[in-house]
Amino acid sequence: MEDQDILLKFRDPASRNLAFNQLVRKYQSKVYWHVRKMVVDHADADDLTQDVFIKVWNHLENFRQDASLYTWIYRIATNECLNFLSSKRRKFFLPLNDVGAELTQKLEADEQLAGDEVELKLQKAILRLPDKQRLVFNLRYYDEMPYEQMAEVTGTSVGALKASYHHAVKKIEQYVNQETD
Amino acid sequence: MKTPFRLDEHPRRPQPPLAPPAADYFDKLPLRVMHRVRPAAEPAPLWGWFASLSAPLRTALASVVLLLTFVGSFWLTSRPGGLPAAGVARRANAAQALAAVPRAEAVQYLLSDAAPRVTLADLADTHVAERALTADFLPGTDAEIQAALDEQPSLDVYL
Repeated sequence: MEDQDILLKFRDPASRNLAFNQLVRKYQSKVYWHVRKMVVDHADADDLTQDVFIKVWNHLENFRQDASLYTWIYRIATNECLNFLSSKRRKFFLPLNDVGAELTQKLEADEQLAGDEVELKLQKAILRLPDKQRLVFNLRYYDEMPYEQMAEVTGTSVGALKASYHHAVKKIEQYVNQETD
Repeated sequence: MKTPFRLDEHPRRPQPPLAPPAADYFDKLPLRVMHRVRPAAEPAPLWGWFASLSAPLRTALASVVLLLTFVGSFWLTSRPGGLPAAGVARRANAAQALAAVPRAEAVQYLLSDAAPRVTLADLADTHVAERALTADFLPGTDAEIQAALDEQPSLDVYL
């Protein structure tokens, strides 16, 4: 179902539930993995994914279509992730690096990475990036999102995003090389 | 010599190598989300109109209701015949009305047949209030009164 059809049906109370169900089915996987890459842990990603769709439900009626539905949902998911990570830091009075260390521990416990040393180092390097830079890196490297769309999701200029991604790549390469030596 | 790591030479994966969720996770997720949004979508009919208002309007309305409650309770308690102060006001009115009755008229009433018969309890009260009244109102000599008093158990003697 096209986004436009979903929006039209959502505005009709008789077909609202059906339309929303279609919307969740269409975007759930993208939202889940976008969130999961940021918080690593499945349980956290599950909670946040549900929260994202509840926010979508609450605000979809007021969605003005300035951006595409996909971009709008991504923006909500991004804000949820950043709020979650910063509230975690505030709650436990953690400095920036400690959340990265906690995420790294969760990553190391993940059986999917067993045996792949370079990939593990790469993932550790990504988790050492500041949250917003990690977000930019994930959107560009994994999702291959165009910079213009990233600018809509993050509310940052294209130039700043390019610079951020470039610095992120340099930091990652530097970390992996240091760990390999 | 080792080749330095370069990200663009590393095989790109569509996702980081994290364990995927359970196989039926994405089948169940829409249902779980729908369960969480439905209660909010169907508010109780009685409060539906209230819930549909914007948050600032709800706050303002609640404040007005609270203020009206205070004003209403203040008005009820302050007016004559109102709630808790009514008993005090009635007692004050009764005392004022009794004080306004002329003394001669009150004596006439007590001596007439309409007045209830004076008892020993009245004797005790009047004695405490005004010692000289007993001689005027009690039909009996001092000796008879003293004899009546002597017959009372000691605990009931007020002299």
